[in-house]
Amino acid sequence: MAISKKEQTKIKERSKKADEKQKNILEMLKSHGAKIYDDLDNGQFPKFSIPSRSVGNIVYDKKLRQYILGTNAAVRSSRNSAQLRSFTQLMWLAFFANRLTHEKKSSTLRDVYYSSQAFAIEFEDQSESDNIIVDLESVTSKPREDFHIFPEERSSIFGDLTIEYTIPGYEGKTMNLSNHPDGYSIGPSLTTAELVDTSAEIVIAIEKGGLFTRFVEEQVDKKFKSIIINTGGQAPRSTRTLLKRLHEEMKLPVIVLTDGDVYGEHIAMVIKSGSANAAHLRELTVPDAKWVGVWATDIEKYKLPTIPMTESDIKRCYDLQKDPRYQDGIWKKELDVFLKLKRKAELEAFSKYGLTNITDKYLPQKLELAKSL
Amino acid sequence: MSSIKEHFNQISPSEFFYSNRDLAGFSNPTRSLYTAVREFVENALDACDQKGILPDVHLTIKAVDPDKPDPKPYILTVKDNGPGIDAEHIPLAFGTVLYGSKFGLKQARGMFGLGATMAILYGQITTNKPVIVKSSVDGTTQDLFELLLDIQKNKPVIVKHTTKEVSKKGLSVSICLEGDYSKAGTKIRDYVYETSLITPYASITFDDPKGQKFSHPRFVTEIPPPPTIIRPHPHGIDVERIRRMIVESQFEIPTIDDVMIEKVRKDLGLSVKNLSFTAIMDKAKKKWKTLSRQVRVVIALMSFLKMNFEKLNKIRIEDIDMPNKKLFYWDFGDSQSKSIDMDPENQYYKQLTNTVQGEPLTTFLTKRFQRIGPTTAVKFAEFAGFKPEKRMGTLSNQELVNLSDALQKFEDFMAPDSSCLAPLGEAPLEKGIKKFFNPDFTAVIQRSASAYSGFPFIIEMGIAYGGDIKSGGPHVYRYANRIPLLYDEGSDVVLKVVNDTDWGRYKVKGDPPFIIVSHICSTRIPYKTAGKENVADRPEIERELRLGLQLLSRKLAAYMSKRGQADMAKKRANLYAKYLPQIAEFCTELAGKKKEPNYKKLLEENAVEFKQSIEEKNKIGDK
Repeated sequence: MAISKKEQTKIKERSKKADEKQKNILEMLKSHGAKIYDDLDNGQFPKFSIPSRSVGNIVYDKKLRQYILGTNAAVRSSRNSAQLRSFTQLMWLAFFANRLTHEKKSSTLRDVYYSSQAFAIEFEDQSESDNIIVDLESVTSKPREDFHIFPEERSSIFGDLTIEYTIPGYEGKTMNLSNHPDGYSIGPSLTTAELVDTSAEIVIAIEKGGLFTRFVEEQVDKKFKSIIINTGGQAPRSTRTLLKRLHEEMKLPVIVLTDGDVYGEHIAMVIKSGSANAAHLRELTVPDAKWVGVWATDIEKYKLPTIPMTESDIKRCYDLQKDPRYQDGIWKKELDVFLKLKRKAELEAFSKYGLTNITDKYLPQKLELAKSL
Repeated sequence: MSSIKEHFNQISPSEFFYSNRDLAGFSNPTRSLYTAVREFVENALDACDQKGILPDVHLTIKAVDPDKPDPKPYILTVKDNGPGIDAEHIPLAFGTVLYGSKFGLKQARGMFGLGATMAILYGQITTNKPVIVKSSVDGTTQDLFELLLDIQKNKPVIVKHTTKEVSKKGLSVSICLEGDYSKAGTKIRDYVYETSLITPYASITFDDPKGQKFSHPRFVTEIPPPPTIIRPHPHGIDVERIRRMIVESQFEIPTIDDVMIEKVRKDLGLSVKNLSFTAIMDKAKKKWKTLSRQVRVVIALMSFLKMNFEKLNKIRIEDIDMPNKKLFYWDFGDSQSKSIDMDPENQYYKQLTNTVQGEPLTTFLTKRFQRIGPTTAVKFAEFAGFKPEKRMGTLSNQELVNLSDALQKFEDFMAPDSSCLAPLGEAPLEKGIKKFFNPDFTAVIQRSASAYSGFPFIIEMGIAYGGDIKSGGPHVYRYANRIPLLYDEGSDVVLKVVNDTDWGRYKVKGDPPFIIVSHICSTRIPYKTAGKENVADRPEIERELRLGLQLLSRKLAAYMSKRGQADMAKKRANLYAKYLPQIAEFCTELAGKKKEPNYKKLLEENAVEFKQSIEEKNKIGDK
């Protein structure tokens, strides 16, 4: 297939953009490294400042519409013998991330944990190494995916979206994500790929794999000109990054469809405005994302079969009531109704009215509604 | 009805100990061998101490038949360079029970030399071999005795006695006894080792049955000042003791027989003359000052009887009833008992009263006790509700008990005289601890003398940390009157005090390498059992131990906190040495450099810091 000149320039631009990003990351790591190098060379104990991730330093930024870290920061110094170990671990991680980025290789969180042993760096367990990864994110304000570090995959995507790989061995290769009906898992290669083209007009993020399969079967992608994403519960960061990019680069609106319970509501909220856990990162949110269901009010409206809330469900409701993002609008209203009903309904509850009821009836109504949200 | 007739027999001390040998630590071959070693070594050290001789003690244990399995007969020999024992005393000293020279009130390892005889007795009953004693008191001739004990008669049987020429003074005792060295060996070696710590001025060698030689040369050449023998303290007295003292203080009414009359005549210069009663009295008045007490009493009696020597010869004094002022006597001439009234106005009345009724209370107290002067004696009499001039001989049983109780309760007596004690002293103790354990830190203390129940005691303690000391401390080395106490430590007062201590408070944590040495010196150690292994928890002793240990622990805590800082510095230096090279390696690649940064400066600086804190630590340790 011949590629037009215009297309070629576009490809070049795109790969330039990816290169640029990689260059920035490498530059940043280098400058951190150089500072520590100079300190050591001058006979000084190197140190750096890490924004505090303690609860007291996590604040909600109304303008950004997400949680961010406040101004508190802790100094991690190699002089302090209690911090020396974690300082060294962080140094190693930066060094390791530098190699990953350089070589365009990716690594899972677990890989990081094991890789450390080749350099005589000790981590008690993976949670210690995961923590150091968050430290690196905090210091650099970059998500781990930028350093080619990914969690295990569990979310997937399907729909008419053409991408172009940037990972080694696939550079320039394109792929349309509607070619395989099981969907494509959202991994490093997809997250770093350039988004080339799409005919879709909306992104539907759905909480569950079962419903994702149903949507593909029922050709929701074609019927509603949409890209379907299975978040697999709480959306992983790579998925949130992809959602954000689809929204920003391809100008697609994002709607979220979850179970009709407090956790579902919060899955939508995290996509929209991030989580406290990732308050140190700012490129993971889709502030314009819309939660379209299943709402608490839908339970009554559609007479859905329900199950009673557990005690922890109820406690979660009360917790979220204190969250500044749940103080108004649909978020507050639905939360209050959940609390009033003390019952919840799953997406599958629509099967009561036939397997395709959710795609035939419910989804169109909600899509329509979303326009006015 | 059966006619069982009970026999009441008096048994000899030897028989008593023969049947009760468990009491003295001869319960089994293991314990017996250990106890025998102790008794002979302690006797040897005591003998040298008393004469101010630097002791050289040689202990040898040899199996009679090395191939036999334990328990088996062993020959135990202890040789010293002490004063030796006069040949005439040897059979009694080693061949009877309860014969000894250590009966005074002063600190000594053993009390009556009883244990040694017990060991001999035990040897004899298990192997039927005599004890061999070699003694030289002059350093030229040596007496050798082979002795057996006649258990029923408590008498020595001399099997052999020879003499020969030698060049050294000293005593050597050798017995053959059933023992179990394979089990007792550890304790005996510990005993010898620990003894040499508390007796640093002694050289002790031990040749064990397996051919091993343990040598503990002296490392202090000064003997601590020897203790003196002193009178008892009123707090340490009981009714029985007072009764005995009264008997000692009383003069018996002399028996007026021919011999006595002859003596009186001679003393009055009237050996040949026969004077009238009045003339005798006149003569006596003139010569009064030169007369002995006995003679004075006879004169006093004569003054009431109004008899001359001739008449006096024909009577016998039956009773002197002071309260009723009557004198009873038997007249041989008339063959009947007669009485006369005594006139209290008679100038000799007081003389007689003194003799019959003993000393006044105040005199008795000041003369026979330590720490009581005339003023205290009067104050005490008032406290106890006795007239100061109350005659000791007139005290009823109940009054004796009251007196004894009051003596215990009266609090204005000065603390017991501690000159009868012989503590080791701080300097030799510290030297010993340093030599034995090569510790990083040592502290010792000698508390001033204190007393329990009228018995003076002094506590000496030492504490040491680190060096060659094994971890798992505190390891407690207990001593009493320079004897190491090795058995039954669980119930000992020292252990109690040590275990009550919260070592965490003194910065001693984990599995610390430290030792505590405690030495209790007293004229009477309150042992819980006859085996002399654990000290009872008398509150006064416990208090002194506690105070002593607290003081030492505070010193240890000061050292530990310095040491902690030094350990920290060392740990930090180690951490830097481990991590800085890694940081250097990673940042070199990150920064895109070829050469690693010069981080060695940082490591060196830290090494200096570490060195400084080590020096400081050592300074504290030396203090």
